[in-house]
Amino acid sequence: MSALAKVSYFWRSATGGLRHSPFVHFIAITTIAIALFAAGLARTAGSALDGLLASLGGEVEVTVYLAPELAEDQVEALRTQLETASGGRAVLVKPEEALERLARELGDLGDALSQLPENPLPPSLELSVAPERRTPELLERLSLQLRALPGVTGVDYGREAVERLTAIARALQFGGLVAFAVVLFATIIIVSATLQLAIYARREEIEIQKLVGATDRFVKAPFLIEGLLQGLLGAAVALGGLWAFGQLVGPTLTSLFSFLLGPTSSEPMVRAGLALELIFAGGLLGLVGSFIAVGRFLRV
Amino acid sequence: MIQMFHVYKAYPGDPPVLSDINLHVEKGEFIFLTGPSGAGKTTLLKLLFCGEKATKGQILVGGRNIARIRESAIPYLRRNIGVVFQDFKLLPQRTVEDNVAFTLDVLGRPRAEAREKVHRMLKLVGLEHKASSYPLRLSGGEQQRVVIARALVNDPTILLADEPTGNLDPALTVEIMDLLNQVNIRGTTVLVATHDSTLLARYQKRTVRLERGFIVSDEDGVKAARRMAV
Ligand SMILES: Nc1ncnc2c1ncn2[C@@H]1O[C@H](COP(=O)(O)OP(=O)(O)OP(=O)(O)O)[C@@H](O)[C@H]1O
Ligand SMILES: [Mg+2]
Repeated sequence: MSALAKVSYFWRSATGGLRHSPFVHFIAITTIAIALFAAGLARTAGSALDGLLASLGGEVEVTVYLAPELAEDQVEALRTQLETASGGRAVLVKPEEALERLARELGDLGDALSQLPENPLPPSLELSVAPERRTPELLERLSLQLRALPGVTGVDYGREAVERLTAIARALQFGGLVAFAVVLFATIIIVSATLQLAIYARREEIEIQKLVGATDRFVKAPFLIEGLLQGLLGAAVALGGLWAFGQLVGPTLTSLFSFLLGPTSSEPMVRAGLALELIFAGGLLGLVGSFIAVGRFLRV
Repeated sequence: MIQMFHVYKAYPGDPPVLSDINLHVEKGEFIFLTGPSGAGKTTLLKLLFCGEKATKGQILVGGRNIARIRESAIPYLRRNIGVVFQDFKLLPQRTVEDNVAFTLDVLGRPRAEAREKVHRMLKLVGLEHKASSYPLRLSGGEQQRVVIARALVNDPTILLADEPTGNLDPALTVEIMDLLNQVNIRGTTVLVATHDSTLLARYQKRTVRLERGFIVSDEDGVKAARRMAV
């Protein structure tokens, strides 16, 4: 009974605080909303980019050229060796297949190829590498390893493309992290500043509460709830913003990406997982900000 | 109920405000604390509810040594002490009713139960018709009675009243003093700081006189009243 009364008192006190100085709280909630909106956008963009990388990365194949004089069983032995070394799948491309493919890719020009007296292309093994091994370092090491095998005349992989894509992805990740940390820091400072104002505005009330026997926790609780409410409201606004953004810009983006990636499942802007994450992050931001304010300015 | 042993209070840089205070108050007593302005009456009351810390000496309240009380124990001490502040300390943006209920809110009393008590208290001080007014719309005497209601609403074992009749006309003064008397008769220990000598003469209670921070006399009611009459 008493606990319930306290909770209802804290609630009235905290919402009273929101009503008492709406402008200050508006600023704090807007800041949180902007930060979380940006985070949500980055999150969605990040997963889209991941998809892009994966689909491009799917084309990362290592081509292993073989000496033409190898017998069939020797090739087969090499093939299994490659598969165990790379953890991926290796497929044999015979010289005539390779020629056919080249002719098809060259189109009209390809007819000229059939005039060649002898097939100049060597047999090769096409090795698809497991996604987790597609880093530039691992591919480099694999290619060196494969080059050393007897019967292998050359190894080729889209080295530059892999390196560039990986660099881009890293830069994006790092930049995103730094930006997120800065925004996080700024948001916490703003939340704690607004709560400092709230504490200042209610200093008389706090003094009297203490004089009539309120415990520290009782005095502090409403401010923590106020911070939590700010964070949750900020998250709600951010989610609304993301949803609206998805409605407005989503169709354009989807068509853009389907041009790059082929038909993809168009993901909604606001997934349940993301919503939960943002709400949790908002609440946490508000709580941390108010903890700091209460710790620093409410020396009771 | 209250014992003070060689208590000193000094603010940094100033001579002591209270010096060598020795005071014993039994449970259920009614005591006037008197003396000229600046004598240290308010300061002495502040020491008792831990509004200030003594510089030197021991203070026992309800058997508890509050010179060495832990910070976290202070709220529980204060819940047993009702204080009528000389400067009221009412919240201007809250109604009379909410101001009185403040004491109960802090204890986490359910609203409905609190409201009933608050109304009983307001009736006792004659302000039930002002329950939803704001303090600044009240006269000084009315505000003073709100403060008294707030101090009493939690049935404290000790009541510290700092000039509780300072803003009241003679008729209301009698009414409030009768109320404090009633509270005392029901068992609450009452300390009233006042420089109103007509009160001392009329009520004939034990009277402790402070001057420049020293206790200069501590007399029973009859003696004190006789001195007033001279
Ligand atoms: N916070 C403070 N800092 C410094 N000096 C103080 C402080 N509070 C009170 N004093 C001094 O202590 C002395 C006693 O003050 P106190 O308020 O106890 O007097 P009082 O007897 O209650 O007077 P009054 O009848 O006018 O209310 C005064 O000289 C005052 O200047
Ligand atoms: Mg005083």
